[in-house]
Amino acid sequence: MASTPYSLGQTLLKIDNVCLEYDGRPVLKNVNAEVRKIIVPGRVQGQVVGILGPSGCGKTTLFRIIAGLAPPTSGRVSVNGFDRPVRAGEVGVVAQSYPLFEHRTVFGNLMLGAKQKEKDSQVAHDKVMALLREFGLEDKFNLYPAQLSGGQRQRCAIIQQILCSEHFLLMDEPFSGLDLLMLEKTCELIAKVADMDDLNTIIVVTHDVTAACSVADHLWLMGRDADSEGNKLPGSRIVQEYNLIERDLCWQPNIITTPQFTSFVREVKEEFRRL
Amino acid sequence: MTPVAALFAPNSVLSGKAVRILVATQVMIVLALWAFNPFVLLPKPLEVLRALGDMWQEGLGAELITSFYLNLQAIAVATVLSLLMAYAMVMPFFRPVVALIGKLRFLSLVGLTFFFTLMTRSGHQLKVSLLVFSVSVFFVTGMADVIDSIPKEKFDLARTLRMGEWRVVWEVIVLGQVDKAFDVLRQNAAIGWMMLTMVEGIVRSEGGIGTILLDQNHHFRLAAVFAIQLTLLMLGLLQDYGIGMTKNLLCPYAALTLERK
Repeated sequence: MASTPYSLGQTLLKIDNVCLEYDGRPVLKNVNAEVRKIIVPGRVQGQVVGILGPSGCGKTTLFRIIAGLAPPTSGRVSVNGFDRPVRAGEVGVVAQSYPLFEHRTVFGNLMLGAKQKEKDSQVAHDKVMALLREFGLEDKFNLYPAQLSGGQRQRCAIIQQILCSEHFLLMDEPFSGLDLLMLEKTCELIAKVADMDDLNTIIVVTHDVTAACSVADHLWLMGRDADSEGNKLPGSRIVQEYNLIERDLCWQPNIITTPQFTSFVREVKEEFRRL
Repeated sequence: MTPVAALFAPNSVLSGKAVRILVATQVMIVLALWAFNPFVLLPKPLEVLRALGDMWQEGLGAELITSFYLNLQAIAVATVLSLLMAYAMVMPFFRPVVALIGKLRFLSLVGLTFFFTLMTRSGHQLKVSLLVFSVSVFFVTGMADVIDSIPKEKFDLARTLRMGEWRVVWEVIVLGQVDKAFDVLRQNAAIGWMMLTMVEGIVRSEGGIGTILLDQNHHFRLAAVFAIQLTLLMLGLLQDYGIGMTKNLLCPYAALTLERK
């Protein structure tokens, strides 16, 4: 039972019966899920969803469909209650390698994002500078992406997408290859971005169960169904959803040190192994 | 590691001073081998220098200017045309045509002279056309490879920033690959010098360094041939350096991730 009172509001993102086939071979099969606005009285609370699944289960494919970068064979993804499929740009995307335009400086990259939404150059400039300060990159604005460290590059890529998208941010494997300290910092960064606005929704695609559990309020577990003999059937779907708020496993400092958290991670890992 | 061992260790980095000593030593070895080689037919350095002085007095400078201007003009036209053709590849309609133009690099220039003669009005135009053709077919191929090797994530990044497809082309293909375009230009400007002597040999109306080279070669004046080749090499290196400098000035980000800057 949740110790923090909360309620769920309108649907922010809806994945409606999404199927995808390559050369007649199903990759995704009837994927259904939705992200609803979390309302916590008296504070700004964004949404963080973790998508977990074994390698090759179609996480990145679903990621591209949610981002509007690839159309599904059938079904659709919609955001903000629009009665149309999501378009590229409505959902910000931070890919695993944190791509930026190498020929532009940090400031140039961020202005490119800001000016897609804000036509007034001065307003765009102010927004960029405010976010650079917020994320501790104000002294890096004149550097090229190749001159940034991995963590700085990640923050820069996140700011660029925040400036341009409609409160949605998809992150592909943000914990991949990070040491313990950087992993904690990345989790803090995700929570910070989510809580900048009530409507902010971060979807983290990963196979790192512990990191996903520590940062998300909801988890979607992707995998393939099996037949009666245990053979995997083609086409992945979301086989299990977890509400971590209900289990009282989010928004608490040092949650990962508690026995409940350890037990939950074990439960998810068990389910993960069966996929 | 000793300095000598460092010279032969894979990927070892030398100091600027060590590189200068290495280059100077190797140049001196080459000059010594050249000066003391036993081949009678190979002209000695002093003979080459003397031939260069003689030809300079006979007007080699003017011929060099003619050739340099011709090459510059051809490279400028070829660069504009090739870039436009390579960028046109983003439209499916133009892809087969551009691919075909790239394949024309296997054709011999001599076999095309008659066709180009019919199409042009003067010797100069004919030379420019032949050079533009011979440089463009390589330039287009090089730029097409550059465009084809842009990772998908760069296009995705532009699209997630709400750019329309023409803006994606501008940001990812045109602006994003300017540094690579300079590299391709650098290679093809060198091809221009290689082709120049052949073209000036085919069309001799304006003279030029290629005409002199062929004449000297015809009369077996090897010292003069070597002198012209050395002059061409120096001019080519100067041009190469100029293009490299321009690239470094306009694209300072290009060398940031390289091990060998």
